[in-house]
Amino acid sequence: MDRKNTSPASLGRISRRGLLSSAAASGALIAGGGLLTRAGAQDFSGSKLTYWGGLIFADAANQLLVDTITAWGAANGVETEVVMINQNETVQKVSAAVEAGTMPDALDVGLDLLLLMSKQGVFVTLDDLYEKVGAAQGGWYEAVALATDTTSIAGGRTGLPFGVSGNLLLRRTDLLEEAGLVAPPETWDELVEQAALVTKSPVSGLGLALSNVGDGNVQCSIMQSFGGRIADDAGKKVTIKSEETRAYLAWLKDAWDKGVFPPGNATWDGAGDNQAYLSGQAAFIANTGSVGIAAQKDDPELFEVTGFSSLPAGPIGTISPITPQTRAIPATSGNQAAAMALLEFLSQPEFLSQYYSLAIYGPVLNDQKAFPAFDGSDAIHSGLLDLVENGTAPGWPDVFNTAFADAYSNFIVPKMAQRVVIDGWDAERAMNEAQEQAQAIYDKY
Amino acid sequence: MEISAAPSGTARSRTRRWMTGARRTQLFAYALVLPVVALIIGLVAYPFFFALWVAFTDRVVGGGGNWIGLDNFRYLAKTAIFTAAIRNTIIIVLATDILKFAIGLSLALLVTQRIPARGFFRSFLMLPWAMPAFVAFLTWRVLYQPIGGGLNLILTETGLYPHVIDWLGQRSTAMPSVIAASVWRGFPFWFISILAALQSIPKDLYEAARVDGANAWERFKMVTFPGIRHVVLITTLLSSIWTANAFEHVWLLTQGGPSDATMVFPVLAYFGMQTQRIGEAAAVSVAMLPIMAILVIIVTSAMQRDDD
Repeated sequence: MDRKNTSPASLGRISRRGLLSSAAASGALIAGGGLLTRAGAQDFSGSKLTYWGGLIFADAANQLLVDTITAWGAANGVETEVVMINQNETVQKVSAAVEAGTMPDALDVGLDLLLLMSKQGVFVTLDDLYEKVGAAQGGWYEAVALATDTTSIAGGRTGLPFGVSGNLLLRRTDLLEEAGLVAPPETWDELVEQAALVTKSPVSGLGLALSNVGDGNVQCSIMQSFGGRIADDAGKKVTIKSEETRAYLAWLKDAWDKGVFPPGNATWDGAGDNQAYLSGQAAFIANTGSVGIAAQKDDPELFEVTGFSSLPAGPIGTISPITPQTRAIPATSGNQAAAMALLEFLSQPEFLSQYYSLAIYGPVLNDQKAFPAFDGSDAIHSGLLDLVENGTAPGWPDVFNTAFADAYSNFIVPKMAQRVVIDGWDAERAMNEAQEQAQAIYDKY
Repeated sequence: MEISAAPSGTARSRTRRWMTGARRTQLFAYALVLPVVALIIGLVAYPFFFALWVAFTDRVVGGGGNWIGLDNFRYLAKTAIFTAAIRNTIIIVLATDILKFAIGLSLALLVTQRIPARGFFRSFLMLPWAMPAFVAFLTWRVLYQPIGGGLNLILTETGLYPHVIDWLGQRSTAMPSVIAASVWRGFPFWFISILAALQSIPKDLYEAARVDGANAWERFKMVTFPGIRHVVLITTLLSSIWTANAFEHVWLLTQGGPSDATMVFPVLAYFGMQTQRIGEAAAVSVAMLPIMAILVIIVTSAMQRDDD
């Protein structure tokens, strides 16, 4: 599905208008005192609550979250402290806090970490709240419901979903149209062909990360779209070594040899692809939309020539995993009732409608599709809605269990890719190593 | 029965006999060092032995951990990346120590000469060390950028090399690039240490050597080097430990990549922490101990020989 950003209005003026709308939104929520206290029938007055919010690329959305929680606290007599944490550092901060016993009362947490921590009993279950919120807003999207179900490892649901992210393919339409390419690439082979046509120093066509960072794990999705798998259907036996993985590695090596990857992509940090695209050095990247937001703000001309589409397909189809974001309450929280009430409040459509219009998340509940953010006027949000409706479950076709999350965090697939293109290993040797390392991880669970 | 709160006469005299002046002084001395001992136990000994214990468990974040003996070490030994981390850590420590020594010594010898603006140069040369590591290595990362990076601009603009070099992105240049940045940041410590040692060598020794007909090299070999040897040994020890434990130079430049070309122990331990497996991460850190211990023994033995 292709989306040219013909109407960037809703997000295009975040820097100027977003903050104003954030202030207006939180003001409206404060003015609606009934709404602020609606979720909290209990009396929490005099108590304290600390919330760790996940910092995203949209300042206005971050501010709206802070203001809303603060306003909720003021209306309910709860002294709130909101700490916004860079999402790249959530794992480290949460790990340290769990060990030190200094977890907040509630926090935003990604699916990988939620899964790993839920297995250790770090979070309380939220089944009643999950059911209540879902029932009130048309039910949860099936992919979201399946992906965030921690019942088998924690005895219940520990995360309340509030947004979905995932990769979209961003492309430089100006360069591609010059080369006579109008439609976005449908397959990975087409992507390489198109990338090769526009690769001319200083532009490298294919800005996909191959490094040991989260962005590098897009290689896992590509491998899966070629039919490769991390493990079997039981999620126990590692099956990386296969003809399908070999086909993926052959595709990768061919692309590498064509010189379509930007130099340095094997050591990019989390912002490597963002920088490559924003500085005009990459014609294609796979990104959550943060680059689009940054371009809207700092380089409107680049944004105007940016096209958004779904990730290309491999021989078995498109693998475009959704990444649900959730809110959770640590078992160590001394104010769980208030935290529960706050999470319910943060799931109200009045807040989320405003929040989605500023943030870079797709919806999690069916009724949210009717929010103005998803009315089709904005390319990024349309892409995110499409991702929720047509994307694949996290890890699919693999089983997204704790072992998969661990292997994913260990960058098993990007490391295998590096062995082939950086170290010059043949596919057999690279697959053997990846197979062995992944099996060692799976054996731990 | 009536119980008296005051000690009986016999007990009092026994206490008095025990609490002699010497014993009081001893106790007072112990009391004085007690806070420091408590601090060392709390901040050094406890974390050290805790990390040692964790390395032998399957502990994950939020979990208790069971004793699994050497399983973590066996697992690490099987992985190619662990072998790479050992090799790379040794290479980085050796290469940076040798280069920092050579640069530090050369510059220290230079600024002990009567040259104009000597004071300025001494301060100026300390700048890399004074700069926060984070800033220094990010700056180097920018310099190494394939497109728009300073090094490539110099090479291409001056015609020295017409092609763009992906300094950090290819196996052949990644490690030398990390070493160069580490040497740049770390040489001032060697420079200032050696300079201090040079200044403590009595001038009479040089005069005597000259009178004996010693040339410049002989004066360096017979007077200068023995004079700075002790400092060089201590600097080698400290610098090696710091470099082996340093995280930011590799993390900010390459994150251990490309592939495992620059993977070192601290970065590998960090990856272990990222996946919540504290036991394995601790095992990586503990695996460094024998290497460090050997280095400490070699250097302290050499220093002991000097003292003897």
